[in-house]
Amino acid sequence: MKLVLFLSELLTVASAFVVALHPNVLYASIFLLFTFLGVAVMFVFAGADFIAGAQVVVYVGGVTILILFAIMLTQWLYQMRLRDVGNKLVVPIAVIGLGLVPFLYKGLHQLADFVSKAPPPNLAAFSGSPKTTAIGEALLSSYLLPFEGITILLLGALVGAVWLARPK
Amino acid sequence: MLGVGGLLRPRRSATPQKVQAYECGEAPVGSAWIKFNIRFYVVAIVFIIFDVEMAAIFPCVVLFKDAVAKGTAALIFWEIFLFIGLLVVGLIYCWVRGDLEWVKGVMNSAPYRRSS
Amino acid sequence: MNSAAFAHTLQSWFGVGPLWAWAALSAFLVIFLLALPFGGIATYVERKVAADIQDRVGPNRVGPYGILQFLADGVKMLAKEDFMPAGADRFLFNLAPVLVVVGACSAFAALPLGKYLVGADLNIGIFYILAVTTLIAPGILLGSWASQNKWSLLGGLRGAAQIVSYEIPVALSILPAVLISGTLQIGLIVEQQGWAWSAEGLQQYHFWNGFHNPFTFIAMFLLFIGGLAETNRIPFDLPEAESELVSGFNTEFSGMRFGLYALAEFCDVFVMSAVVTALYLGGWHIPFVNIEGLGVTLPQGLVVLIQFGVFLVKTLILVFVVMWLRWTLPRLRVDQLMGLCWKGLTPLALLNLLGTALWMWIFKGQSLAQLIYGAFA
Repeated sequence: MKLVLFLSELLTVASAFVVALHPNVLYASIFLLFTFLGVAVMFVFAGADFIAGAQVVVYVGGVTILILFAIMLTQWLYQMRLRDVGNKLVVPIAVIGLGLVPFLYKGLHQLADFVSKAPPPNLAAFSGSPKTTAIGEALLSSYLLPFEGITILLLGALVGAVWLARPK
Repeated sequence: MLGVGGLLRPRRSATPQKVQAYECGEAPVGSAWIKFNIRFYVVAIVFIIFDVEMAAIFPCVVLFKDAVAKGTAALIFWEIFLFIGLLVVGLIYCWVRGDLEWVKGVMNSAPYRRSS
Repeated sequence: MNSAAFAHTLQSWFGVGPLWAWAALSAFLVIFLLALPFGGIATYVERKVAADIQDRVGPNRVGPYGILQFLADGVKMLAKEDFMPAGADRFLFNLAPVLVVVGACSAFAALPLGKYLVGADLNIGIFYILAVTTLIAPGILLGSWASQNKWSLLGGLRGAAQIVSYEIPVALSILPAVLISGTLQIGLIVEQQGWAWSAEGLQQYHFWNGFHNPFTFIAMFLLFIGGLAETNRIPFDLPEAESELVSGFNTEFSGMRFGLYALAEFCDVFVMSAVVTALYLGGWHIPFVNIEGLGVTLPQGLVVLIQFGVFLVKTLILVFVVMWLRWTLPRLRVDQLMGLCWKGLTPLALLNLLGTALWMWIFKGQSLAQLIYGAFA
């Protein structure tokens, strides 16, 4: 089991490096997709199954498509070498990234250990999907204001986006 | 599966005719790019908005049945109603202003404001 | 947990190995024994159905009634020459079909094939299926881009826009079933659609979710239509547009790569039909019969087989309807398609969701059947 976690971490970190350093913007966005998938797997190991699903639905299904649309519709980016200055930054990026990795690794493995050794949830208390139910309860009671705040934020984003896209 | 195919394939014999992009049998005209269409982007943005909304609704919906049993259903119903309602308002706004039209033109947008 | 007993059963049969290994194996088994053969046979069935509707015979050379046609097609595809268009991006060209197939086939692992026969009965079951099928959209988009063909690109862009738009009505139509069941775990959702009759009358189980209240009835159809659009089937197959864009986004794909796209499409059709069956049509339950509450105790193997058979029958009926519609309905134009989604299905699905919540609140979660029974009992 730990092997899968390790592989997913490897996938995420390696993909993130490619995203940051690859000269081709389209390849960068594809590896961003892999990064999202890796993060989703890590969420599963951290015990947040619903968040993993939400990550895939929103990020892989939405944000990736959005980025790919933006790249494919503005096709001259494909030829643009956006990373000509990136070559100077490779070493600092690699150093910082690799320096952070051990901390994240340790933190994630501790969390995964904690989650796997935690007592199994009392299924009789919930009617299935205990963690999702717990998220829902939190959203609707303690975090109600942020929950409705999300709505306002989304509404603003929607109106703003269609406003920008309007033909003048 | 692709690997198995690799074993069975005949030797590559790509002639220039074969590798040209297929265009109903005609010789390809123009470069392989298309004109920018913002409507794809608008659709993707509207989708993300509703996708996030939907991902946030899922946990609330899951506990609705228990809430009915416990008697707190009214509160949760109104909370969900408010959440969805605000986004429906956004959708209606986009609809009325003509932003959801695929073939969009100045003609389709509501004639309230034109900049210029 | 009753519904996830497949992995437990396997572990108890073999006695060795950690549970997670058996769970992974059971998920794999479902994918390979169900998804791949289904994909192959579906191509044959589609051609036969098409032939029937068009009043001709269809494949009938290879094997009795042409039934081995899909094997012949498979061999042909594997043996085809592998070339890519000039200037095509090799990595993307190979990656795209893989993404699409992974997206479509991984969903099989979470399908409830029977009470004790779920590949992986996840706590977030239905959400997982929704998540995994969104992998198909980037796959189509990348494939169309990698083809270096502006018609493919157009088909792919439209395809991605369509899949992505119709995910909203699909997700919103899944929600009424989740509302009624109070869980995302598909095994439990199906279990609660049973028919348990006892001396007191209708138990807390209600009949199939589709008939729980008028809103879920509509939601069932919305889910089915949304599923048609998700899988690029007629009347929503503009991205593949056989008579317009040659073959749309998969024009430049030949041989096994095309085979993978076709496989993924049929698998996705199966997944969508299975989701409609599981959420709204009672999954593995036989109508009006509670197979485990009968007087005689049947051997568990027989129960499993019967439940699997019932589930398959229901799902395959829906798949047949999907194929039937393909040769019956004309194709929607792209602006009609998008208009239908955002101006028709999405508001309707939202109304359904609110209506179901209202019903649950007012009638305390009872179904129409329970209410009528309660009124007359």
